[in-house]
Amino acid sequence: MRYAVRRLLAVIPVLLVLVTIVFLVMRWLPGSPASSLAAAGAGSSSTSQITASEAQIQAALGLNRPVLAQYGRFLWRLAHLDLGTSFFGDNSVLSLLGQALPATIELTIAAMLLAALIGSVPGVLAAWRKDSPLDVVIRSCATVSFSLPWFALGVLGIVIFGVQLKLLPTIGRLPSSLNYAPTTGFVLIDAIVQDRPALLGPWLQHLVLPATTLALSMAGYITRTVRAAVLEVRGEEFVRTARMKGLTERAIIARHVLRNASLPIVTVLGLQFGSLLGGALITEVVFSYPGVGDLLVNAVLERDYPVVQGAALAVAALYTLVNVGVDLLYLVLDPRLRKGVA
Amino acid sequence: MSAATADEVILDVRDLKVGFTVRAGRLPAVDGVDLTLRRGETLALVGESGSGKSALAMALVGLNRGPRTEIAGTADFHGENLLTARESRLRRIRGARIAVVFQDALAALNPLQRAGGQVVEMIRTHHQVPRAEAWRQTARLFGDVGIASPERSVRAYPHELSGGMRQRVMIALGLANNPEILIADEPTTALDVTIQAQVLQVLRDLQRDHGTAVILITHDLGVVAGVADRIAVMYAGRVVETGTREQVLFRPRHPYTRGLLASVPSLTGPVTGRLTAIGGSALTGVDRPPGCAFAPRCDLAGAGCSAPVPLLRRGTESGHLDACVAGGQP
Repeated sequence: MRYAVRRLLAVIPVLLVLVTIVFLVMRWLPGSPASSLAAAGAGSSSTSQITASEAQIQAALGLNRPVLAQYGRFLWRLAHLDLGTSFFGDNSVLSLLGQALPATIELTIAAMLLAALIGSVPGVLAAWRKDSPLDVVIRSCATVSFSLPWFALGVLGIVIFGVQLKLLPTIGRLPSSLNYAPTTGFVLIDAIVQDRPALLGPWLQHLVLPATTLALSMAGYITRTVRAAVLEVRGEEFVRTARMKGLTERAIIARHVLRNASLPIVTVLGLQFGSLLGGALITEVVFSYPGVGDLLVNAVLERDYPVVQGAALAVAALYTLVNVGVDLLYLVLDPRLRKGVA
Repeated sequence: MSAATADEVILDVRDLKVGFTVRAGRLPAVDGVDLTLRRGETLALVGESGSGKSALAMALVGLNRGPRTEIAGTADFHGENLLTARESRLRRIRGARIAVVFQDALAALNPLQRAGGQVVEMIRTHHQVPRAEAWRQTARLFGDVGIASPERSVRAYPHELSGGMRQRVMIALGLANNPEILIADEPTTALDVTIQAQVLQVLRDLQRDHGTAVILITHDLGVVAGVADRIAVMYAGRVVETGTREQVLFRPRHPYTRGLLASVPSLTGPVTGRLTAIGGSALTGVDRPPGCAFAPRCDLAGAGCSAPVPLLRRGTESGHLDACVAGGQP
């Protein structure tokens, strides 16, 4: 328990470095939110009028102050868990994230589960039938899988299942006709809490394409990792002991090989969660899925600094939390590691 | 164990051959071995690394079967040939009637499973015993093999136990289902000499109590002298000499056996400076010249030694066989 708290505290400096980088990069990018805002509200005004209102907006947003002063104010607010307000519209960044983050988490978890399933089963099979035709086929498919860019896969999915076959919706998370009012933001939980099982069908339909797109691009890598891990464990002497006991191959795989192979597999899954999250952000744009990626891309285009900073922080926090979770999972899986920790 | 069955042969191995396909060709790890094992006795398989003793033992329980392994001959266990038995049949024999104690207990035990749990698994694989009862049996077994505070040790993970304790867990595992044959593959090699003696004593006591026959694989003649009833000396995949402990250790006939014995340092004899060694190195490659495999290293080698494989021949004493054409005489 103390270890868990210590690991969680160690996350804070990592996040601080990250938000600092994002803060600086945004301000160094050419273009400013003031010019976007001024141009948007300008209509037929002259160039000098736009420039004048731009200066006014700069002052109103506090962007005319030195960068260091802006940074100080940003940190001060952050320490009070205030991520600021969007420059466009009057939404607080927290409420924007409150809507977008659950959608992204849903998509990522769905993709992760799907990828773990379609990735690990062939991995085990390939390892158990090493060098057989099955192994060769699985290895080839795995290579193809992680060579495909997921956005291309997403577009392909939209064209085939959405446009040609008209089987699945291609944009959004839920049809607006359902009048979904989030309680937690997680549709699965809200469907139970609000007693609206009717939400689930459309929700899954919208989730299938983006989640499968992401999962497919990830599964090949998982297959390779699982195969390598199982092969390595299979050569260990305790597997021979298990065979000596008279266990069936199935029991040997389930009770001895997979448990021991799970350590490297969990490591890779944890690390892959990061690129899956990155993939989710891009996939969201392809499918106009209202998650953090959608939010982030629009915010960057509009130079909406508070939203970009908040979204980046949320994604990074999610990623580091997952990795802390992975570290704690090691302790559950491997008694040898508990010694130094307890 | 009734007296009538004391001399009963429970394992009869005839012309056992194990070949491994390697890059360079076929490696004859075991090259035509005959062995008999009687109920309750300890047969020591002695030889240096690569002599084929482990390959032989693993072949008996089907633990080195695979696409790159070729196994021929017969190993008659109660009328059944272990070498050709189907895997599903062998699974019922392995662990229940023939068990193996492996050399390096740290590697041979599952690091993520409690020590007791591994024994419980062994028991429950072959007997329909409630889980709690299997744990009780395991704790009793741990006590029998001399593990301190067995009730607590069954809950320990292998890395939490000392090397000697781990090897005892390995022995408890081997004896869990009271097998007829226990194959002990270098069971004490990884241990200190004092712990070695303790572990061997445990093995002997339990063997006597349960009437278990033991095939002891070792390169350590000190271990052999302490526990073996009969000895088979292996060299380059063949048995070159076999007999009772006294015959082989005190009246060795084959030059290789004599060389082995001469290279054991003596605690009581005069200190001579250098240890005696057998010159040259054993044949471990793919190519084997015809005739006696030991001839290239043998002081007594003559023209007759390159004739086709010498067979085990009867010496002057019954049961004492050796494979030297020269009859061990220059």
